[in-house]
Amino acid sequence: MLVDRNIEERIVEAPEEDHSINNELAELTKYVEVITSTIRDMESPVTTTSDQLPQATAHLQDLAKMTEDGAHQVLTLTERIETNRRTMQTALDQLQQQLGGEQATEVGRILQLMKEDERRLMDIHVALSFQDLVAQRVAKLVTILNEVQHKLLKLVVIFGIKQKKAGAAATDGGRGYEMLRQLEESKTTALQQDLVDDIMSEFGFS
Amino acid sequence: MIDTSLKVLVVDDMSTMRRIVKNVLKQIGFSDMVEAENGQDALNKLRAAGDFGLVVSDWNMPVMQGIDLLRAVRADAELKHLPFLMVTAEAQKENIIEAVQAGVSNYVVKPFTAEALQGKLEKIFAKTQPVKA
Repeated sequence: MLVDRNIEERIVEAPEEDHSINNELAELTKYVEVITSTIRDMESPVTTTSDQLPQATAHLQDLAKMTEDGAHQVLTLTERIETNRRTMQTALDQLQQQLGGEQATEVGRILQLMKEDERRLMDIHVALSFQDLVAQRVAKLVTILNEVQHKLLKLVVIFGIKQKKAGAAATDGGRGYEMLRQLEESKTTALQQDLVDDIMSEFGFS
Repeated sequence: MIDTSLKVLVVDDMSTMRRIVKNVLKQIGFSDMVEAENGQDALNKLRAAGDFGLVVSDWNMPVMQGIDLLRAVRADAELKHLPFLMVTAEAQKENIIEAVQAGVSNYVVKPFTAEALQGKLEKIFAKTQPVKA
């Protein structure tokens, strides 16, 4: 009798369990649908952003180069001014020794002004060290952008593979992963941008 | 008193900084100056020449960082007595402690002034008897 009662209980409970599982599956399906839709919505901004990042990186690197070139230009000019200033100082020193009285005092005043300019020229040189700080910060930004690009690229590769599989061209998925692996390996090398561009072109990015 | 007859090695990956530091050293009175663009380049030049009397180095550089150059210099029996001035933007407390523990002679933070560089060099030469070329 006891066995029979258990069987009866199971028969009574089974529909409730099924109902509960069905509800959970329905919830899960809804959740997956929402996630899939969200991912689909993300695809376009992600691909656009990862396409634009190399340009942003290139602009930043150009910026660092421009400040470096500018700093060198100012250094060259101030070095020439300093060379002339030294020549004039030597000549005026000799002239002062030959002159006497008020004229020598006047030359001395000019020499004093030239001495002050020597300090100012040096201050201009040292002030140009800002370029080094700019270059260092730009380098850090480029590293961050490269990291972001790398992460976005992973998403692009995943979406790309999904589309290819749907279109029955599954063999290209392996190539994508291989390039992603190469990208991972070359993260710290100068070839990174080239490799990224290659991978991007594999997925239809110009 | 700064011994300006010493041969100086200026180490920085930025060409502008090497030029700036050299100009300041020139104004102080140094005339014998050689450039290196990273720690490894510097170490090679130090070992090859053997007649340097002062190293002025950046910290953040590719290939070999300034702190690793400093450690390599201090670990080398021929070079360990060289005065070593670190000129760097790395101004965190832990950086300074690390440099001191590695045996730095003094530490100048970028952006610096000509007076600051000269002042640090004066302190270095007041404390140490540098190796003459």
